[in-house]
Amino acid sequence: MVYGALSSAWMAAAVAAAPATAADTAPAAAAPGARTPAAPKPGAPKPGAADSSAPEAPAATAPVAAPDAPPAELKTLDQEVQGLKKDVIDLNKDLFVLQEELLFPANTQVALYISMDVGAFFALDSVTVKIDNKEVKNYLYTAREADALLKGGVQQIYLGNLKVGKHELVAFFTGKGPVERGYKRGATISFDKGVGAKYLELKITDRVPKHQPEFMIKDWE
Amino acid sequence: MRRAFLAGCLILGAATAGASLAAAPTMVGKPAPDFVLRGLDGRNLRLSEFRGQVVLVNFWARWAGDSQKEMSALDRINTTYQRAGLVVLGVSVDEDLRRAQEFASSMAVSYPMLFDTGSVIGKDYFLQKMPMTILVDRAGVVRYSIVGFKRGDEHIFLDQIRELLRE
Repeated sequence: MVYGALSSAWMAAAVAAAPATAADTAPAAAAPGARTPAAPKPGAPKPGAADSSAPEAPAATAPVAAPDAPPAELKTLDQEVQGLKKDVIDLNKDLFVLQEELLFPANTQVALYISMDVGAFFALDSVTVKIDNKEVKNYLYTAREADALLKGGVQQIYLGNLKVGKHELVAFFTGKGPVERGYKRGATISFDKGVGAKYLELKITDRVPKHQPEFMIKDWE
Repeated sequence: MRRAFLAGCLILGAATAGASLAAAPTMVGKPAPDFVLRGLDGRNLRLSEFRGQVVLVNFWARWAGDSQKEMSALDRINTTYQRAGLVVLGVSVDEDLRRAQEFASSMAVSYPMLFDTGSVIGKDYFLQKMPMTILVDRAGVVRYSIVGFKRGDEHIFLDQIRELLRE
């Protein structure tokens, strides 16, 4: 009731175009868009105050700040936060690129990618990769991952370092073949690792005339 | 004299065990390391594919006597809270795959049973005592870790599960 009374007094003062001496009394009750003068320090009387007829007194019943300041401050703070987030993302990206360059420099880097085509004759379960007779990767595929490959996804299954020279890569593909039978096939490739990154692709396709899947390893151009 | 000696050994053992438990590393508060394992039904399951759901992972072994009791309790929890978004995964760390599979089949629980014969993920999760159960929240962070199981511990799981499902 006191709050309502004060707000009425304030509005009356505003309508009468009185000098802005009623500082921060109930700005929430003010007309929308009405501007209140800059609020003095809250020396407001307590909320239980019975004095409702003093529009000149800085009678604030609630410690509400001037409506102009918070939105501008919040906007600036929000912009700062967004800016910081962007900086963090950019830094993260740069760090990732630097890390790759440091751990897998281009002159020794070898990367393997796997892709699947159609998949009517083969449901992929796992892939094992050996380079120079040493197992470097064993990857189990979930149904969702296999589905992603079937939809055209290409996965970087291995990233490593190799010295310049001749190397042999063997890949074993395990899954379910035609008629839901267990299926395990291998493919091999001998390649020369020169200066510069080497990219190889493990490709699974359907050989329709024979109703069998086909596995191959080739240079990724 | 002998009694005093035995008492002293017990006290020393308890103090050491307490210290080792207190110093044992834990995954609580850290992102759950991802893993993919083959299940009893032949499907491969990856932990990160359940991001967005609350996941309870129970690490067990045949030789851990509490595992059997715990599995029955977890089966009841899974039946009740599966529709609310809880995923329960059982992970065997038994090196003998065939026996672990036989044991899992005999338990006939309603949640997936996965097998880590190479004890690969045991190191990631600091597995020291069996059984061990962890709760992973929707963001993929380990929130609770409980070692061992005794009758009545089911309500502890329930309280924590409800809390995470409410988030």
